[in-house]
Amino acid sequence: MITVNTEYHSHFKEITGLAGDSFELDEPLVSELAAKITEKYGAKMKALLIDPRTNDLNANGTMYVDSKGKRIFIDDTLEDGETIAFLVGIAGG
Amino acid sequence: MSALPQKELVTGETWYQPGDEIPNVTTKLFALRNQCTECNVCEVACSLVHSPDGEINPQLSRIQINHAPDKQTKASPAGLGFVADICHHCGNPPPCAEVCPTDAFYYDPLTQAAVIDQDNCIQCMECVPGCPFDVVFVAPSGELLKCDLCGGDPVCVKACSTRPELLNVGKQYNRMPVLFYEEQPEFNRLSREEPVARDEVGMMQAMLERGEISSGA
Amino acid sequence: MESNLLRVDLTTGEIKSEIIGHEVFEKWVGGSGINNWIMWQHFLTHDINCDPRSPDNIFVFGVGPLAGSGAGSGVKGRITFKSPCYDMFGDSAGGGKFPYMVRFSGYEYIAITGKAPKPVYLHICNDEVSLHDASHLWGKDTKETHEILQRDLGDYPSKTHTLSIGQAGENQVGIAGVVSDALRIHARCGGGAVLGSKNLKAIAVQGSGGIKIKRPEGIMKWSDVFRQSLDANEAVYGFKRRGTLGAVEMYQHIGSHFWRNNQGNKFRGEGITSDNWVKRFHKYSEVCSSDCFIACDAKYKIDGTESEAAKKYVGETFRRPEYLTTGSAAGALDVRDWAEVAHWGKITNDYGIDNQDLSCSISFLMEIKQHGLISDDDVANLFGHSQSLEWGNMDDIEALVESIVYQSNPFGKLFGDGPYKGALRYSEMMGQNFMKYAMYGKGGASFTEEMRPFPTWMNNMAVASRGADHLKGLGLIEKFQRRDLSQIYFGGPEAADLEVPTYKGASTAIIENQVALLNSYGVCMFHWMLDPAGYMPESYYGEAYRSITGVEHDSEMLMRDGERICNLEKAFNSRVGMRREHDTVCERWMWEPCPEGKYPGKVAADMFEPVLDEYYQWRGWDVRSGLQTRAKLEELDLGDVADVLEADGALARG
Repeated sequence: MITVNTEYHSHFKEITGLAGDSFELDEPLVSELAAKITEKYGAKMKALLIDPRTNDLNANGTMYVDSKGKRIFIDDTLEDGETIAFLVGIAGG
Repeated sequence: MSALPQKELVTGETWYQPGDEIPNVTTKLFALRNQCTECNVCEVACSLVHSPDGEINPQLSRIQINHAPDKQTKASPAGLGFVADICHHCGNPPPCAEVCPTDAFYYDPLTQAAVIDQDNCIQCMECVPGCPFDVVFVAPSGELLKCDLCGGDPVCVKACSTRPELLNVGKQYNRMPVLFYEEQPEFNRLSREEPVARDEVGMMQAMLERGEISSGA
Repeated sequence: MESNLLRVDLTTGEIKSEIIGHEVFEKWVGGSGINNWIMWQHFLTHDINCDPRSPDNIFVFGVGPLAGSGAGSGVKGRITFKSPCYDMFGDSAGGGKFPYMVRFSGYEYIAITGKAPKPVYLHICNDEVSLHDASHLWGKDTKETHEILQRDLGDYPSKTHTLSIGQAGENQVGIAGVVSDALRIHARCGGGAVLGSKNLKAIAVQGSGGIKIKRPEGIMKWSDVFRQSLDANEAVYGFKRRGTLGAVEMYQHIGSHFWRNNQGNKFRGEGITSDNWVKRFHKYSEVCSSDCFIACDAKYKIDGTESEAAKKYVGETFRRPEYLTTGSAAGALDVRDWAEVAHWGKITNDYGIDNQDLSCSISFLMEIKQHGLISDDDVANLFGHSQSLEWGNMDDIEALVESIVYQSNPFGKLFGDGPYKGALRYSEMMGQNFMKYAMYGKGGASFTEEMRPFPTWMNNMAVASRGADHLKGLGLIEKFQRRDLSQIYFGGPEAADLEVPTYKGASTAIIENQVALLNSYGVCMFHWMLDPAGYMPESYYGEAYRSITGVEHDSEMLMRDGERICNLEKAFNSRVGMRREHDTVCERWMWEPCPEGKYPGKVAADMFEPVLDEYYQWRGWDVRSGLQTRAKLEELDLGDVADVLEADGALARG
C-alpha cells in the first residue's frame, strides 16, 4: 500500500474543484491511480484522463508529470509519497 | 394550403395529395441565442451539402451567422451578439409557403419540412418578408434559400463547434451543439426563456450563474 | 486544382491576374508552399540582397486549399516576404475572417511589389480590384482602419474583411506586423514594415464566389470523422475554455516561462493563472477563426471590478491574451495583473507590432539598468528625458512601446529591429558589450519561453527558416515528453527523453516537413496538440487534401512535398549568406545555467552541437557548412534551385 498525492491544475482543477488530493494505492501503478481518479470524479474526468482508443492516459492536450518533471504513462510505476501534477498540455499562441 | 403542388421524390416516395392533412414538423432547428462563435463551419457545411457540383459558398448557405450586437432582427429582437439565423419550421403551413404566388413550396415526407421547389419558384421574393423570422435568404443569383433539414440529418448540427455541457439531462455525461433539435427538451426550454445578457456577454454567463449549465465548455 | 494569383505593382499601379495551374499545386501544395515559390521566382529577377524596405521586396499573401472547406481547425492565411528585421526569409501566419473571405474572392494568392507614390489601400471585390487613396487612414491604428473600411465598403456583395498595418508598420519599424480584421496579427518577421515601405495601408476584401471541391462526398465524410474525434476528447473543451492560456499553469509547474528577460523561468505573484482569467475576465467565447471546430478564442470587456489595474481600462474590449502575449508581458516584463497583460495584447495589436521582439527589446534595457550597467543619464539620453525602467510597470512599458512604434527617440530607433540588432547598436554606441543580455535565436529573433532544458525546442530556435521560432519545428514530442509519439516516429522513446540528444535534430527535421504541409494546406496548427491525427498531416490531412484538390499524392509524396518547401526556404537563406554559424542561439541560453524549475542547471551547450549535426544529417545537408547539397536538391526535383545556389556560391561543395 502506498500513498500518492495529486495536484490538479487548470481544466483538471475545474473538474475536480480541488487543488490537490491524495490516494492510497494497493499496487504502485499509474493505472490504479487513474482508475481511482476516474472513479472518484466521474465520466467527465474519464473523458479527460483516458483515451478510449488506446486505454492509455489521454496524451492529447494534457500533461502529467511526477515531482522530477517526468511525464508518466499508464504502465509506469509510482513511489510512495510521490506527487503527480495533472496539467493542460498546450503550448504556443 | 390544398393548392400546394405535389411532387415525386427522386427516391420514388409519394408526396401528400391535395386535401391530405399534413403532419406537423416535429423536428425543428434552433440555435441557442448568443452562444454562437461565428466560426462559420455550419455555413460551409450547409452550402456544400446543398451544392449540386461540390461548391462551398457561405452566401448559398441556408443558415446565416451574423455578428450584430446592436442590430435587432425579428429573430433576435434583443440584439444579442452572434446569432445563427435558421428556419424555425414554424407553422403548418408556414407563412412563407402561404404567401407564395406560385405554390412553389412542397413537403419533405421524411421531415414534413416545407421546401422550395426551385423549378416553380419565380424569385418574386414574397416569402422573404413573409417569413416572421427573416430566415428565408436570397442568394446572389436570386435563388431563394430555405432550410430543408437535410432530409432529417442536418449537417449544420453535426458541424456546430460550440457544445455547452448540459447537466440536467440525466446522469449521463452529455454535450450538445448550440444548434439543436426541438425534441431535446432542455435546450427547448432554454431557447424559449428570455435570455439575460450583460452587454455583449451573452446568456451563457447568465446560464452559468443560474447553474443551468456547467462551466465545462 | 487551379487558383488565381493577383499581381499588384504599386509603382505603376498595374493590376493583373495570373492562373496558378494544377502543376504548381503538384509541386508546392498550396498556401505557404506556393507563397515561397512566388517569392523565389521574384528574386530570380530582383536582387535578393536588396534592402527589404525597398520597392524591390515582394509581399505575398496566400491561403491554402483546405482553408474554408470545413477540413481542419480554422483558416490560416500566410504572408511571405524578405524580413526587414532579420534580413532573411520571413513569413507569418494569421487567422480571423480575412483569409476566409479571400478564399471566396477568387484570388487566393496576392503578390505586392513596388512602392506607391502615396498611401493607398487595395480593394478586392470578387474580380474587381482597385487601388484607393488611404490618406484618411494613415496614422490610424489597425482597429480604426478596419472599422472605417468596413463601414465605407459595406456589406454587399459580402461583408468586408481587412488586413492592415498600424502606426508601427507606417513608420517601417522592423518588427511591425500585419493585422487581420483588427484582431489577429501576422506578427513575426516584420511584414508590417514591408507594407509600410510600400505605402500600402490595407487590403480590403469582399467575396461572394464559391470554392470548388473535387470530391465533395470525400470531404464531408472526412470532416465528420474529424469532428467526432475532437468531440470525444474532453481536453478539447478545456482548450475551448482557456485557449493557450492553459499553458500558463503547466509552464509554471515545470519552469518554462521567460521571467524578467529569462533571469528566471517562473512567474512571480499569484495573479497570472488561467484560473484567474476564467474566473474574473472570461466572457463567453465570441470570436473565432473562420471554419474552426474548436473555437479557442474569447473576448473580454473590462468593467473595472476584475482586478486592481482593471480600473485603468474600463470599457476596453479585445481578445483573451494568447500564451505568448502573456509570456511576453507577465514573463519578459514581469507584469503581474491580468488587466495589464490583456492591455499589452491590445496595444501591440492596435499598433501592429510583434510582442515577442518588442518585449525582449524592452526587457533587455530593463535588465542592463537593473544590473547598474547604465546610469540614469544614459537612460535619459535614450529617451530625451528621464525615464523609469521599473519591471512590471505598465505605464513605463507603454512609454517604451510608443518610443519604438513612433520611432520618436534614440531608444525607438535603436530597437526598431528587435533586441539583437538593438543590443548590437547600443553596445557599439556605448562602447560596452551588452550582448550577454540580448535574448535571441537564429536571425536575431527572440522568443519568450525558457529553452534550456529542451534540446529540440532549442534546435527549433536555432534552425527555423524565419528566425528563432517554435512554429516551424514544433518540438512538442519532447516538450510534452510524448514517449508514445517518439515510438511511432523513430521506433524508440529517445526523442521524448530530455536527457539525451538522440533524435532531437531528427524530430525537428521531420516535423518541419510536416508543419510545412499544414501551413500549405492553410489550416490551423492547434489540432496537432489535441488529436493524434493532428500528427499526421501527410496521411490524415492528405486524404482531405486529395479530396479537395484532386492532387493525387500519397503520404510519402506529400512528405517529400513538405521537405521540398522547407528546402526552398533554406535556399533563400543560403542565398542571403546564411551558413551553419548562423544557426545559433544567444549567450544566456547557450552558457548560463537554467536557474530554477524542474530542470535546473541545464544549458543549451550540453547538447547543442550533436543535435544540430543530427538535424543536418537528417536533412541531407552538409554538416560542416550547413549548406544544401546538389544530390538532395535533385532528389526533391529542385535541380534549378541547385543551379541558382551554385551560381551564388551557396551550394555545398562536393
